[in-house]
Amino acid sequence: MSPMPVDVLNYVLLSAVMFFIGVGGVILRRNPLIVLMAIELMFNAANLALIAFSRVYENNAGHIFAFLVITVAAAEAAIGLAIVVVVFRRAKHVDVDDVAGLHG
Amino acid sequence: MPTLIAPFGNADWLALAPVLVVAVAPLVVLLADLLVPRALRRTSALALTALALIVAGIVSLQGWGHPFSAFGGGFQAGGFTIVFQEVALLGALLSLPLAGRLGRDDQTGGGLALLLWSTCGALLMAGASNLLTIFLGLELLSLALYCLCALAAAPSAREAALKYLILSSTASGFMLYGMALLFGATGSAQLAALATGSGSHVLLALGSGLFLVGFAFKLSLVPFHVWTPDVYEGAPLPITAFMSVVTKAGALAVLARFAYAALPQADAQALLIPIWVIAALSMIGGNVGALAQTDMKRLLAYSGIAQVGYVVAALAGTTPLGLRYAMFYLVAYAFMNLGAFGIVGLLSRDHEEGSRLTAYAGLGHRRPFAAAAMTFFLLALAGLPPTAGFTGKLLILASSVDAGYGWLAGVLIAGTAISIYVYAKIIYAMYARRTGTAPEAQAARRPEPLRWLGVGICAVAVFVMAFYPLAPSDVLPQVK
Amino acid sequence: MSPYVPVAIFLGVAVAAATAFVLVPGLVARRKPNATKSEAYECGVEPTSDVGGRFPVRFYLIAMLFVIFDVEAASFYPWAVQMRALRVYGLLEMAAFVVVLGIGYAYVWRKGGFQWR
Repeated sequence: MSPMPVDVLNYVLLSAVMFFIGVGGVILRRNPLIVLMAIELMFNAANLALIAFSRVYENNAGHIFAFLVITVAAAEAAIGLAIVVVVFRRAKHVDVDDVAGLHG
Repeated sequence: MPTLIAPFGNADWLALAPVLVVAVAPLVVLLADLLVPRALRRTSALALTALALIVAGIVSLQGWGHPFSAFGGGFQAGGFTIVFQEVALLGALLSLPLAGRLGRDDQTGGGLALLLWSTCGALLMAGASNLLTIFLGLELLSLALYCLCALAAAPSAREAALKYLILSSTASGFMLYGMALLFGATGSAQLAALATGSGSHVLLALGSGLFLVGFAFKLSLVPFHVWTPDVYEGAPLPITAFMSVVTKAGALAVLARFAYAALPQADAQALLIPIWVIAALSMIGGNVGALAQTDMKRLLAYSGIAQVGYVVAALAGTTPLGLRYAMFYLVAYAFMNLGAFGIVGLLSRDHEEGSRLTAYAGLGHRRPFAAAAMTFFLLALAGLPPTAGFTGKLLILASSVDAGYGWLAGVLIAGTAISIYVYAKIIYAMYARRTGTAPEAQAARRPEPLRWLGVGICAVAVFVMAFYPLAPSDVLPQVK
Repeated sequence: MSPYVPVAIFLGVAVAAATAFVLVPGLVARRKPNATKSEAYECGVEPTSDVGGRFPVRFYLIAMLFVIFDVEAASFYPWAVQMRALRVYGLLEMAAFVVVLGIGYAYVWRKGGFQWR
């Protein structure tokens, strides 16, 4: 049985769902590590859309873009971890709401 | 015969030269930090950084009149790029004399390397003309800045850095998804390809909407500005000064190029209306927010929100004249803002940064020169003569009325009226009472020639630019 | 929809089998608990604390460095696949990449980033 070609719209819808799960995670979760993971989800949603469009247009710019995004996301995760570590070195809980020293 | 496959030609190298200088220099700074004896580390790192920024500035100017491109059209050099690059380099260079307290001594090398890489990101954004280079430049700029914000030892600085990281990365996520949809609209990552208007209109509208939301956040325009005062207050002073000029220069370059060169003529005005509304909100919101502040860094953060609003308002209608005036005002803003930060730096003492507004009461009697310079920069920020701020605002008013955006001009005048009250309050406090704090502070003051040099350059520039409103004339063809 | 039928069957079998494995022993088996049987599983050391406790900061630093050098390794793959096509130019590019990385590595090393203190 040969695999049925999947319409690009499905990929884009999936990526949109992933993106909004990521946005929801950023808004609803309080743990900075989970928030960072939600941001990664947003980035990867964009990656999926890029790769799907890349295949539709047969233009490999999307692949290169996605690769770049992976690298940037790794750097972002590393820096995020580093900052979380310096902020919470003394704190008991890791919770965004505890970061209340500054008020807008 | 084996040939060297080089996608890079000579033109590419010439176009990228300033970016490369600032990309390689941090490696030298890091190596110097490892190899130079401890006593010389701070000085050598500062000297190398300043040298790299000056060299990059000179190299960038060499490209005037040579619209080269690199990365297969992903990076455009030329007049438009050079103006934004010079502003970014200037911002980085003039924030260096403030770097008395950039983290601990053994962090200076690493901190300055990050500062250079951040500048490199801004230089890349200045010329970025496809989605990849825009993203790369923006992330290089932002990632280095997150670390720099966390450099100060105070817990508030680290909290600010975490806040900045989370909010700014979320904005990057929005922008990136917008870019993916824009790529989907035409199948090309080139901004110029979007302008042909051949692609899907739904994807184009959605994509540019998300993209502009991300950029409004990076520029801290009004509904997306809540992070700015906190981050400005928490970050070390030189980083705050750096951010207020360099990130804005980079992001404005991309926004201007996007507005002028990437949108199809038919849709451009409709798609950009939200941006003009956001600019109007910023002009009012920034100045109203500044009313209640008791901290100079927070006040300058709100002031910066309004100032960027003025620059974006100049772009309304995407007329060629508007772009030239926006660039003029950006340069003027860089000088007056850096000058004001220079004075904040002069008032910093070892234990506290001189950023509480109470530190300015009676300043005119204690330190007349500093107070006079601060008055001058505040007048410029308010947009009163004889400063470049006044000239720049007149030009923006003229161009936005000319482009048919009279309501934006009205909002600009209203915002200016509010801002005059904000700045007049500080000027009044500086000269009104003779508060007799600390004769010992007078005695303990060290001469600070470098800071005064920086402040002096800014003051002269703000004064001279008021009478010579030179706006580069050949930039527009090079945007596209 | 036909390509999804095998997937549906597979999912159905998986859910049914898992449910059966969980429920049937509870219904059928005889229970005669005693002290030894109720202990944790026979081998290994008794757990001393909750698993959800906090990790030392060091773990995060190692995780951070790992993520960076891990992705750096991933950057080599596209070049390795196309090495012959890219020829000397590709080699020089990768050499530049490795030099930049090496300087970063040296910096982390000299600053004590790899010390497990």
